[in-house]
Amino acid sequence: MTGPRHLRRRIAGCAMLASLALALTACFGSSKGGANDNPDADVTITFWHGWSAPNEVGAINANIAAFEKKYPNITVKAVGNITDDKINQALRAGGPNAPDVVSSFTTDNVGEFCDSKAFVDLAPFMQKDGIDPKTTFPPAQLSYTQYNGDQCALPLLSDAYGLYYNKDMFNAAGISSPPKTLSEFDADAVKLTKQSGDTYSQLGFMPDYHGYESTITHFASQWSPTYFTSAGKSNVADDAGIKAAFEWQKALVGKLGGYSRLEKYRTTFGDEFSNNNPFMTGQVAMAIDGEWRAGMIDDSNSKVSYGVAPFPVPDSMASQYGKGYITGTIVGIASTSQKQNAAWEFVKFMTTDTDAVVSFANAIHNVPSTIAALASPKVSQDPNFQQFIKIAANPNSNTTPSSPNGGAYQLTLQNLGYNYESGKQADLQSGLEATAKTIDNDIAQAQ
Amino acid sequence: MTVTATRPRRRAKSPGLRRRRRRDHLRALAFLSPWLLGTGLFFLYPLVTTAWLSFTKYDGFVSPTWDGLTNWKFVFQQYPFFWPALRNTVWFVVVLVTLRIIAGLVLGMLVIHVKRGSSVLRTIFYAPYLAPPVAGTLAFVFLLNPGTGPVNAILGRLGLGEPGWFNDPTWAKPALTLLALWGVGDLMVIFMASLLDVPRELYEAASLDGAGAVRRFRHVTLPHLRPILLFAVITGVITTMQYYTEPLIAGQVSSGQIGGSGQQVEPGYPGGSTLTLPQLVYNLGFQRFDIGAACVIAMVLFVLSMAFAALLMRRGSGFLTAED
Amino acid sequence: MTTTPAPPSAIGPDAPDAMAPPRGDEPAPYRRPHPFLDWVWLHALGIALALLFVLPFVFMILTALMSDQQTLTRDMWPNPFAWHNFVDIWHTQGFGIWWRNTIVYAVSGTVLTLLSSVPVAYALAYFRFRGRNVAMMVVIATMMLPPQVAIIPLYLVWAQDLHLTGTLWPLIIPMAFGDAFSIFLLRQFMLTVPREYLEAARMDGCSDLRTLLRVVVPMVRPAIFAVGLFQFFYCWNDYFGPQIYSSENPGAWTLSYGLGSLKSAHHTDWNLTMAATVLVMAPVIIVFFFAQKAFIEGVTLTGVKG
Repeated sequence: MTGPRHLRRRIAGCAMLASLALALTACFGSSKGGANDNPDADVTITFWHGWSAPNEVGAINANIAAFEKKYPNITVKAVGNITDDKINQALRAGGPNAPDVVSSFTTDNVGEFCDSKAFVDLAPFMQKDGIDPKTTFPPAQLSYTQYNGDQCALPLLSDAYGLYYNKDMFNAAGISSPPKTLSEFDADAVKLTKQSGDTYSQLGFMPDYHGYESTITHFASQWSPTYFTSAGKSNVADDAGIKAAFEWQKALVGKLGGYSRLEKYRTTFGDEFSNNNPFMTGQVAMAIDGEWRAGMIDDSNSKVSYGVAPFPVPDSMASQYGKGYITGTIVGIASTSQKQNAAWEFVKFMTTDTDAVVSFANAIHNVPSTIAALASPKVSQDPNFQQFIKIAANPNSNTTPSSPNGGAYQLTLQNLGYNYESGKQADLQSGLEATAKTIDNDIAQAQ
Repeated sequence: MTVTATRPRRRAKSPGLRRRRRRDHLRALAFLSPWLLGTGLFFLYPLVTTAWLSFTKYDGFVSPTWDGLTNWKFVFQQYPFFWPALRNTVWFVVVLVTLRIIAGLVLGMLVIHVKRGSSVLRTIFYAPYLAPPVAGTLAFVFLLNPGTGPVNAILGRLGLGEPGWFNDPTWAKPALTLLALWGVGDLMVIFMASLLDVPRELYEAASLDGAGAVRRFRHVTLPHLRPILLFAVITGVITTMQYYTEPLIAGQVSSGQIGGSGQQVEPGYPGGSTLTLPQLVYNLGFQRFDIGAACVIAMVLFVLSMAFAALLMRRGSGFLTAED
Repeated sequence: MTTTPAPPSAIGPDAPDAMAPPRGDEPAPYRRPHPFLDWVWLHALGIALALLFVLPFVFMILTALMSDQQTLTRDMWPNPFAWHNFVDIWHTQGFGIWWRNTIVYAVSGTVLTLLSSVPVAYALAYFRFRGRNVAMMVVIATMMLPPQVAIIPLYLVWAQDLHLTGTLWPLIIPMAFGDAFSIFLLRQFMLTVPREYLEAARMDGCSDLRTLLRVVVPMVRPAIFAVGLFQFFYCWNDYFGPQIYSSENPGAWTLSYGLGSLKSAHHTDWNLTMAATVLVMAPVIIVFFFAQKAFIEGVTLTGVKG
């Protein structure tokens, strides 16, 4: 007969054994994909993307339909409204529900996906199909889809940021043309601002860092900053441009009525991507935003009469007027995918087929991302849209570099912005130094 | 485990008894098996693994490798959100738990002493407790929105000043406290049960001795409520250490920034004031995929909550193991 | 804060309705020097507090009936009443699916929890074995463990080995292994069943299973009902579980998660968000009105009766 103590130990032992077995499989059982599938067989691939607005979802589905018509054996199951967190999780999970093709609105995570081999290197696929990336994609788009020489993603349309301005308000304030330098911009913003009580009846520009696209990285790109030294260390404490951008924003906050008044006004804004975006409702006269905003305004019943221009540059860099922050949607193939050849056919179609790229770009008002598509006569000739194509093509336009831990460094920098604009961090230089240290610590911890 | 029948009859040892004992073992095992399995799978296994992973470097892609105390050092010395989150958690534990207990007690006494409509009041005070946390938080973020919410519209009209609530680092925690007080119904009901249990003669005796309401409360009601107050404090502390959904949703929604593709949501808007320890597990483990460091936070949470659980079991051992 | 893990009381099935307000003909708890003034003061306070507790619901409903532009003003009264908001919110992509998933999760979670927890509570209440106290301590420890402590290894198993993330299974399956809070409450309640009933059943030659089903379960029905309700609402309100396990697949979102994403991922304006909030709260509040007594009994059960 089993003594009580003995039995108890045995039960504990069983539990531990079960745990151990689970632990072993848990930690070392990630599934491996491969590129041995036959792309001509009937397959279904899963495609994750972040688009959620009905017109955007319609456009991507139209593109998928065009692909399926061309490749009748491949069915694409599209899943929309996916955030980067979920992509990160799914790429680690694998399995039958995991995506084969993944797209992300940000270039931030390319470094992480490349470094960890979550995305497969696309170079062999391109070689096989005779695609020369250098003659297919513009250099900027090519560089932000690479990391340490691996081409593990491709650009799927790109984005350029510029200045949107309300023409009626400009006329009413007697401003004849959009500002080209930041001092002109500040003066116009003040002129366009009407305070009423402790709030505004109209605001020239919302500079607060929670003011939707008014982020520090978007502003700082007008100074063409260097975020990392060649040794991979954070350069934010030593870059004069980043410091100048922080100081410019803080000064503008002061000129427009101060942080708390602006913050209170900000809480009356509708959602950024709804029809109640503050620029579309006329709550602000100017906004920094991407080219898609023009499409959203045209598609909505907003009556705002708007113009677009490059975002103003610092007075000392007036000759570089025309540049802006650029980024783009990227698409890659998950290394856990069992259907990489079929997935590649889809990626190839979406990113390199000129008709597909142009029609998708026109439908969602994004900038095409291949050299052939940019030159295509079918690209929308709308002057507002052409303005963004020019910004995207400007040699001084720039983006935020990828890093081994994705966009974490931008978040850290943005946090400093919140503390600086609110007055919690008074000394900018020491704040920048602490930020640089945090960024370096985070990267060291991630490696 | 020696399993015996509820009231074992003593008999001389016999083969029959042995058989029965063995049968009793099996019986207990059979009844406990789902739970034993569950405890192993969902309690012991993850606990041991979490402890182990906290000493490893693991990003979810490459197998974990032993990394000594690196993650612990990172979390305690370099991770900028750890100490603010711990401070916030302590703030909530102190303020939120205290105010909830006071409010629950006041409401419970009120409902008991009101003669007319006490069941209506009880229903009204209890119902918000059932509101799903996400729904309640969304509602409060809108109600307290500084620009468009009705609360500040009313305060403004009364000339009482308009706090920034969920958009102001100094007011965000008080706003969450209001939300928690709105859902105080559970405590109110527990206190009511206990208050109704105070023998009436004690109050009458105290009154005869000339004790006023305050003294009666101090010398009759409070001593009687002691065990339930202790219980409310400890469970309150433990629930508050798990405080997750409300601050997360409040921060996300009131920041106005989208959590969509290409966006990293800033933790603990505004200014990190709503960041709590459980949110760090998500931030590190499921956003940064620094699984080792996330497990460090999990271990900190584990130690803190088990310390309070131990306190509850020691101080309250009388009622926890109440038998027969 | 959802189901507060909590200790016990020993309110038996025969305990009087502790929550019944004192009847009018009984003497007041203690004598007051100024009965009338006290009466006015107390009732005024009661009405004022009740208004404060009701107002959030009122504003929620009013906002749900506004136009999207009106929610961006300080108006409090809808003009005009936009009743169609409650129709429009159903057209939000996935809203119907969130309902279905939430109901599946809550119903199966509740049933599985009860099926798995009742026998465990029975064994812990009536079987005498060494380690019984240890077992109780483990139950309490499990109950008090923040879910975030164990989530990472569990997530890794569900995601990387079983490939079940993006479904409801990781939420539902653990319910089949007993829930500590439910076990605890049921066990406390079972302790109040007089032993004589069990003895009698044994004398009649009932097996344990029969005793449990025929004698104990009928006697602890109020506790089972309360535990079932608690578990149902736990699942209904759960945000963390769906966020971790099912959120990567919009087809597996639950109401709590979907509601949380309305403002962020779906760019929904406040009027529709509030309409959705009202709809998600409605079933909970309606069930509460119908099952008020069981609820309050259940909550009381979690408390200690001094």
